[in-house]
Amino acid sequence: MTPPRVLVVDDEEDFLETMVNRLKRRGLEAKGALSGPEALQMIAAESFDVVVLDVRMPGMDGIEVLREIKNRWPFLEVIMLTGHGSVESGIQGMRLGAFDYVMKPADLEDLLGKILQAHERRSLRED
Amino acid sequence: MKSSPWIRWVVAWMGVGLSGLGSLGLFLWEGGPWVISSLGLGIGLCWAAMASLYMQLRKSQRERAILDSKIVQSHKLAALGELSAGIAHEINNPLAVIGREAELMLHLLESSSQEGETSRQELLESVREVASQVERCREITQNLLNFARKMEPVFQKVDVNRLVEDMVKLVERETQGKGIQILREYDKHLEPIRTDPPGLRQVILNLLNNARQAMEQGGTIEVRTKASSSGGAEIMIRDTGCGIPQEQLPRIFDPFFTTKAHGKGTGLGLSICHGIVDRLGGRIRVKSRVGLGSTFVVELPSHPSGLEKGS
Repeated sequence: MTPPRVLVVDDEEDFLETMVNRLKRRGLEAKGALSGPEALQMIAAESFDVVVLDVRMPGMDGIEVLREIKNRWPFLEVIMLTGHGSVESGIQGMRLGAFDYVMKPADLEDLLGKILQAHERRSLRED
Repeated sequence: MKSSPWIRWVVAWMGVGLSGLGSLGLFLWEGGPWVISSLGLGIGLCWAAMASLYMQLRKSQRERAILDSKIVQSHKLAALGELSAGIAHEINNPLAVIGREAELMLHLLESSSQEGETSRQELLESVREVASQVERCREITQNLLNFARKMEPVFQKVDVNRLVEDMVKLVERETQGKGIQILREYDKHLEPIRTDPPGLRQVILNLLNNARQAMEQGGTIEVRTKASSSGGAEIMIRDTGCGIPQEQLPRIFDPFFTTKAHGKGTGLGLSICHGIVDRLGGRIRVKSRVGLGSTFVVELPSHPSGLEKGS
């Protein structure tokens, strides 16, 4: 199986950089976007398998981005990053088709396991 | 079942008739005690009255069931109507453009002998426009197909305990400091099952959220997992909340049925859960007592039989 192509979306620059680097070190093809619109542009331009998406971002928030992603690329898997996680946004995310969520500060092993499962789901769907 | 009301009528009036006749006969033949005769008549009349009440009750129940299913049906039809109108509208626009371009091409071709090069250019543009509109239609139908495919479960190996615990942790963040305690009892020997992870997450999260909302005054949510008798998994979520009235239990999985305050629920949560569990090849059961709480049990097979996608 080819390594998952992951896009991490978060408005905190430090967090984003660290996360992308850690994922790369674990053999994943990872890239970062600092906002929803930037993420959508990147997804339109190149293909990704899994998006790791922060729920809380200024401007276009994670739920809006998720809705847009699922609308345009229904089989792209999305894992939500919840900071001050609320059940409502969690349920809303799941209902809108998010694959799973991870609580911030995200545990790398936990996130990695979820990314791999999301990637497997995507490849099962492709055939 | 259709003939049964008539049969009951006949039986009821036969009852009256027989007891009346019997008591009359007893009275005439033996000149016997009038008490017994009138008792017989009384019993007969009671029988008739009860039978007729019973029939009225059955009739109104039947009418209510028909009405309920008609309401659900009309909601479904309304949703379907809206969807079809949307699709028709989406496809009509490109069709209109294609029609217009076809007319233009026809006109250009009919008069092409005189104007050579310009009409060739215009023809090319028209054909390009048609091709792009056809592409738009293709996108619309592709979206529809995707929408249908999106509903299909994808089965993956799932550690049920872990999945449930993830959802419990999320809900626990909300319940902290609100007098709601969450007790866990996970079966350590529970084997992983093959199911659709995001679908199951949605079900568990919905049930936990309902439990939380049923206990505005605080209480306890109990979450338990165990192996089911058929080798799959059973997940139980019990709350000590307000409970569901007995007469509403049969309807709680119906779409748009809700007991929550206006604006608090759409009445879709449990019907969505039911739909998902159904697609996963499982079952969802409920037990509830008003004032004591509700228990939901989700039973899932270890493998989906016959509908598995992927390996």
